[in-house]
Amino acid sequence: MIHLLKIDLKKLTSYRTFWIICGMYFFTLVVGAASGMEFLKWLARIIDGFGQNININRIPLYHFPDIWQNLAWSCGLLKMGLAIMVVISITNEYTYRTIRQNIIDGMSREEFLLSKVYTNLVLAAASMLAVFLIAVVTGLIYSPELDFPYALTGIAFFPAYFLEVFAFLSFSLMIGIFIQRSGLTIIVLLFSYLIELIIKENIDNYLPGIIPFFPLESIMNLVPMPFARYAFQEIRDYITIGSVAIALAWTFIFNYLSYRKLKKSDI
Amino acid sequence: MLGPNGSGKTTTLGMLMGVVNPTAGSFSWFGQPPTNVVRKKIGAVLEHPIFYPYLSGQKNLELMAMIKEAPVENISKVLALVELSTRKDDKYKTYSLGMKQRLAIASALLNDPIVLILDEPTNGLDPMGIAEIREIIKRIAADGKTIILASHLLDEVQKVCTHFAVLKRGNLMHIGPVDEVGKGEELVEVAAYHDDLGVILQEFAGSGVIKREEGHFQVMMKDGFHGQDLNRFLFDKGIVASHLITKKKTLEKQFLEILAEAHPTADRK
Repeated sequence: MIHLLKIDLKKLTSYRTFWIICGMYFFTLVVGAASGMEFLKWLARIIDGFGQNININRIPLYHFPDIWQNLAWSCGLLKMGLAIMVVISITNEYTYRTIRQNIIDGMSREEFLLSKVYTNLVLAAASMLAVFLIAVVTGLIYSPELDFPYALTGIAFFPAYFLEVFAFLSFSLMIGIFIQRSGLTIIVLLFSYLIELIIKENIDNYLPGIIPFFPLESIMNLVPMPFARYAFQEIRDYITIGSVAIALAWTFIFNYLSYRKLKKSDI
Repeated sequence: MLGPNGSGKTTTLGMLMGVVNPTAGSFSWFGQPPTNVVRKKIGAVLEHPIFYPYLSGQKNLELMAMIKEAPVENISKVLALVELSTRKDDKYKTYSLGMKQRLAIASALLNDPIVLILDEPTNGLDPMGIAEIREIIKRIAADGKTIILASHLLDEVQKVCTHFAVLKRGNLMHIGPVDEVGKGEELVEVAAYHDDLGVILQEFAGSGVIKREEGHFQVMMKDGFHGQDLNRFLFDKGIVASHLITKKKTLEKQFLEILAEAHPTADRK
């Protein structure tokens, strides 16, 4: 496993685009995640009455334990940045035809795919770690008191966030393997959200029961949007076994389809 | 391995190297089933050199050494062999075509392979580049490695190879040693300061078809007759040849003959 991971990382670490995309991604992740209070102040400035009706300093955005879900959900929005890196990494192998040479040189098709999947795992784990550190630091700064174990409720949103990122990267890798060209793959990725949204809205009245089973919906459903709770609405502030099972199943399906495609096609 | 464009040379090699899935049939390497582990012992370059353009030659080879599980010390050795040591830290995309081909050969040699597969290694090179690559191939062959060469350059194959196979539309048309190409009919080119040379040549028992060309005659020898027999015959007649060359059949000629013989029905074999 380490050997295959090293091979793929060697391809990436000398690639300037990789550092630019990852640099921007982690910068936005860290700085963005830490700037929630600034965001609220900005909202108070542009929305009339926002700052007067609700005292923004009393919104416990960064308080334990709210912070876990707040940050896990917000940072999940940025995963498209990593996905684009994954798409570039796999489609480059097709444009440069280096996938062909890798196989000729003695990689099996399974090993080639695994090297990419392991990189996805590393990227997802690095994202989780970065967000976790930010959560701990900002939580310690803003939380008025530390009340264990209450402060740790919802910390399971981090493994869920990890699965969310990994599932989406698996999806991107699969689209990349099927389409093989970076521009088109990125467009398909962007539109797949919209297309799924339109389908979901259209069947909402007839078959609402199947909506949680949609692939992208299942990925978003892992960590539900938390902010409505500050407008006194009910939200789901825990992880359901069902959502994890569906997302895991899709992750498996994405990677299996990538495997099937690689196995069957001439390279 | 010879064959016109689109005859299936690269596809055949692609199947042997695991990038093209065969629709039927089977093969083995060194008596073993063809797995990716076996491929690590083979050095192959198909069609044109393939490398990561944003990596240097050195880094590309390091990556390949990881895939092939080859010792890292081999990198400087193979780079020296193809005379790329001075440019090893430059990005691959800055290399000239000849340098790319040379790096490809270096990469194929990385794991001290038992078999080397080269697919048109001199394709698109200038005469100097061709000479360089040919020199490298000969040096490698002198080390006792088996080289499978796919090429258009029949002259090159005749000089470098011991056996040859001809493909046409995916079918094997011929296989045999290169040595045997010259055997069989002989063509003798002869000229002499004698007005009736054409008539006298017809008297020779070994003469087949005689053609007159500018300043000389071309005599196709019958079986068992050679240039020296003709020379003796003329000498006995009191004629001294001013020009006498025995021409053996070239691979090129045989190649074209094999392809011409290939009847459409044979294609469906």
